[in-house]
Amino acid sequence: MEEIRADGRNPNQLRPFSCTRNPLDRAHGSARWAQGDTIVLAAVYGPKPGTRKGENPEKASIEVVWKPMTGQIGKQEKEYEMTLKRTLQSICLLTVHPNTTTSVILQVVGNDGSLLPCAINACCAALVFAGIPLKHLAVAIGCGVLEDGEVILDTSKAEEQQLKSFAHLVFPNSRKSASSKAANQKEEDSEQGLITSITHGVMSEDDYFNCIERGLAASSRISDFMRTTLQKQAPGDA
Amino acid sequence: MDQRWRPTVNERDFIERALQSDLRVDGRRPFDFRRLKILFGREDGSAEVQLGDTRVMGYVTGQLVPPYKDRPNEGTLAIFTEFSPMADPAFEAGRPGESAIELGRVIDRGLRESRAVDMESLCVVAGKHVWSVRVDIHILDNGGNLIDAANIAALAALSTFRRPECTVGGEDGQQVTVHDPEVRDPLPLTIHHLPIAVTFAYFGEGNIMVIDPTYKEEAVMGGRMTATINSNGDVCAIQKAGGEGVMSSVIMQCLRIASVKAADITSKIKNEVNSYTSAKALQKVKRLPASVPQRDNISDVAMKENTDGALEVQGAKATSDVQQINKELPSIVKDKQEDVEPMLTEWNPEVKSESKLIAGESGLSAVLNSLILVDMVSKFHCSPDGAHARCYSLSSLTKSAVKYGRMEKRTNRKSQ
Repeated sequence: MEEIRADGRNPNQLRPFSCTRNPLDRAHGSARWAQGDTIVLAAVYGPKPGTRKGENPEKASIEVVWKPMTGQIGKQEKEYEMTLKRTLQSICLLTVHPNTTTSVILQVVGNDGSLLPCAINACCAALVFAGIPLKHLAVAIGCGVLEDGEVILDTSKAEEQQLKSFAHLVFPNSRKSASSKAANQKEEDSEQGLITSITHGVMSEDDYFNCIERGLAASSRISDFMRTTLQKQAPGDA
Repeated sequence: MDQRWRPTVNERDFIERALQSDLRVDGRRPFDFRRLKILFGREDGSAEVQLGDTRVMGYVTGQLVPPYKDRPNEGTLAIFTEFSPMADPAFEAGRPGESAIELGRVIDRGLRESRAVDMESLCVVAGKHVWSVRVDIHILDNGGNLIDAANIAALAALSTFRRPECTVGGEDGQQVTVHDPEVRDPLPLTIHHLPIAVTFAYFGEGNIMVIDPTYKEEAVMGGRMTATINSNGDVCAIQKAGGEGVMSSVIMQCLRIASVKAADITSKIKNEVNSYTSAKALQKVKRLPASVPQRDNISDVAMKENTDGALEVQGAKATSDVQQINKELPSIVKDKQEDVEPMLTEWNPEVKSESKLIAGESGLSAVLNSLILVDMVSKFHCSPDGAHARCYSLSSLTKSAVKYGRMEKRTNRKSQ
């Protein structure tokens, strides 16, 4: 029996995505990532000389600033900043430009659930548009667990408020496989790790592993989308 | 780490010399504004303004608070400006710098002291509860002339902001109930006039002035003056903080030019706000859950209303069709600016093919059913759209029948 969600999606269906390349003029790289009504604008200023006090000068450091739509910056924003910083540190090649600081600034333009995954996707796109060297992309997805153990993807704000528990998961992007043999793909999938996982509420172990599995499947679709968007260039570019 | 960009001697020379022949670096004439674009977000009260390269976002929220002691029957309006480091690497996160505070103050003066927004209508219970309106201005991209762009963003956001309706009741007349926006339509703010800020930059010892300076012109200019004027020609505020000395005749000329520009920008803002509001109103009238394929209700509708046995069979077929669609729909991931309701567009082809089956039936039964369906549709649409229902074609009638079934289920759910 398939549950129909409030906005009519299937449990595995994501909201329409869109990514705008470099909407801002001053920033070195910027991206406006929209998942349904959740919209986040991310701007990246490339490596600036020097690191902050307390940062390791042998590596590049990343500084994240999160700006909410309204209100003062509180603990929730600080938590988002810390999560983003650690996630981005694991995807950037930190040894290419040692003793530099790369700033990532986020502005929440609309919030309709799955805000952290949307922000991570926006940051990743902005870093690519700025030309910062990365190991791989970070693909983020929000999963919610219903009472009967069913997992729904890309939760909206109303769903998050009603759900008992939900998780925000970040995976590295899936590799492009030349052959599409199902057996090979399964092995590759199990090799990929989980970069970040933030859960809210109580869920059983099985539910959590379920979330990871579904999230991984969805992340391959999002990585395909990223691959096409991030590669699109103006005609005439090398 | 000095992040401030400084113009080179060559750039400064070039800009000043070009201005002496009435030429600006981006090709504008001295009294031309850059291209103005106003976009609105999904929520009421959020607006994004693009003035050339400068991008500013305004967001308005409101909440019920106790009023100030010396103004017990007036609401409050507060402007918060944040210069995000996104806009300019020279801006620091955290405490607002002087230019951020100056910007906030100029906009605040233009709105509050000229009484552009009616504060007394924001009072709910005098002395106890008033609405406090908070305007957050986020600078996204600094391409010069932040004051003008931020002012337009604040005005656009205030014009589209809707506050929930609340009624006062209870035994002592002090209990306030705030109504949900779904139950009662939220109300707009009462805005008497739109004060528009126009900024002038002075060069060459106060002789040359330009409107709407870009970032590079601002770095090279000798002084700046912002005049806040409304379309009636009333001067709401003037801000000239230091800089080059300018003759009073030049200032009068600037004010005259500013009032012309203000009228122009006011009409632009009003047009954009009107088209946004009417688009939103249309959406409300036609509000249907665009993509909830009901599985059981179609047969209910078909069997309840029709007398023709043939349509019952069709009804059952419709059910199975919709079930199929339910399973087939893939995860839809779209690239920029495509239709936000992909499900609706994909679903329709299936329904249209189904309606052809109905059309294939005997003409009389089809006509009978169409009349019944129209009746249902017009009864339910108690809006001007009801009049149009009679001109629907058969395929869209089937669509409406299905939508009626969904609406029925929705009202049933609501009444429970």
